[in-house]
Amino acid sequence: MMDRAETMRRVAVIGVGHSTFGVRGDVTLQELAWEAIAEALKDAGLTQKDIEVSVVGVVGTREYELMPAVPVNDYAGLTHVGPIRVEAACATGLAALTTAHNYVASGMADIALAVGVEKMTEVDTATSLAVGGRAGNYLWEFHFVGTTMPAQYALYASAHMARFGTTEEHMALVAVKNHRHAARNPKAHFQYEVTVEEVLGSRPVAWPIKLLDSSPISDGAAAAVLASEDAVRRLGVDVPVWVSGIGYSSETPNMVRRPHYVGLEATVRAAAMAYKRAGISPTDVEVAEVHDAFTIAEIMAYEDLGFVEKGMGGKFVAEGQSDLGGKVSVNVSGGLKGKGHPLAATGLSMVYEIVKQLREERERGRQAPLKRYVGLAHNVAGIGHQAYVVVLRR
Amino acid sequence: MSEKRTVKRQGPTIDSIPLIYRHKIPISKTHRFWQGLAEGRIRATRCGTCGSIYFPPQDDCPRCMASGLEWVDLPKRGTIEAFTKVYARPQGYEHFDPYIVAIVGVGDARIIGWLMGVEDERNVRVGMDVEVDVVEVGPGKLVPVFRPA
Repeated sequence: MMDRAETMRRVAVIGVGHSTFGVRGDVTLQELAWEAIAEALKDAGLTQKDIEVSVVGVVGTREYELMPAVPVNDYAGLTHVGPIRVEAACATGLAALTTAHNYVASGMADIALAVGVEKMTEVDTATSLAVGGRAGNYLWEFHFVGTTMPAQYALYASAHMARFGTTEEHMALVAVKNHRHAARNPKAHFQYEVTVEEVLGSRPVAWPIKLLDSSPISDGAAAAVLASEDAVRRLGVDVPVWVSGIGYSSETPNMVRRPHYVGLEATVRAAAMAYKRAGISPTDVEVAEVHDAFTIAEIMAYEDLGFVEKGMGGKFVAEGQSDLGGKVSVNVSGGLKGKGHPLAATGLSMVYEIVKQLREERERGRQAPLKRYVGLAHNVAGIGHQAYVVVLRR
Repeated sequence: MSEKRTVKRQGPTIDSIPLIYRHKIPISKTHRFWQGLAEGRIRATRCGTCGSIYFPPQDDCPRCMASGLEWVDLPKRGTIEAFTKVYARPQGYEHFDPYIVAIVGVGDARIIGWLMGVEDERNVRVGMDVEVDVVEVGPGKLVPVFRPA
């Protein structure tokens, strides 16, 4: 890997915003994005005049507005500074953050805004599922044999269970933990707890994945304002959260060409790149938002991000090591599972939570204990079709 | 269990003008695969220059920049590497009963298809040996099918 990171400028997150996630039949895409953008600008103490480039992340396959970047940007009063539209399926949020970061790091802009927004509930559930199932590799999977997104994760679950003895109970524990966290998050789609029995007894979606192993179809938006070190100094930002390392990778969309089904190689490579650039090791991470689209995904994420060795993810959650205050506090926002998964918003929602955590702005019962102030966001497209890992430090 | 607090905000709406997509998918470069499928054969392509095997088949080899790859028949026996039973059927598959999808290693390639002859997915095992066939599961719909060997 050619690494020119040392020639780039340091970049900090100086403002974050987040809409309430859930079924948001009360607002359009633009109105929803505005909720996050307005909060992020206010949080940064800036106005639109300060933003030099705006990056709009939106998957845009379920909305009536098929090319939504300009309408979103215009509604927010950012008409002349972009938009740069970014799409990386479910990983669009961190792809948008990466793009905005690169504008600032390269010196093309001093202050940039990244927003991720998605409306998934304007069409009925059947249509939304049909769109999602086509993601990644339509002809040779969805069209050919009727795979769906949960079915693809379920294929991985079957291999992980067979090889490492991971159980349906292990997966249920991820849902229980993330719902417990979501119950304390007033911006989460599902603000209630579930039990292992409820998860195991929920209807099967794609064995061994059940309804309560799955993230919901949600609407939502999240945004972040990024600034150069000069701008941070000039603005007198109290607690800048530095983008310490970014990693990205991808993997073949053909399931049959994958080397194995027990982890996501895109995550492994993205994490290695992010850790190297940040100059940290996985054991330094204290708080992480990981891509738990399905519960098995969080178990694999523990392993692929290096929090625990391959195969031990089930044990990791069963021992409470990923709970708030555990070895790594994972998905203290509720994760995709409890907070909701409005595709393009998810990655920036992760950044929102990690920034709030590193600033220690969360109340008791939601604040992760920190010593090193190292946080991580992990955003995956499809089933490891793409992965982004971002290390954030205070 | 406490009340299930869920964010669900509704308001007045208006209907959009409906949009229907129906794509014409070009199969000129994979025609021999679809033809073979109708004859009960599952074909991959092999690069005559570097030996790479491609399934799904493709006519261009990005590894060595060759095109016009040769066609090979994949073995009709293999081993299950991963599987699931799809209960929540997607659009176009609603009329099928829940079906077991499996990834099966055959020779130097892997293929994806439906496992038949097993009712309960809990009786399926990774590592199970299967025979490979092609079955018309619906009008004109051909699917690679696996049965326990």
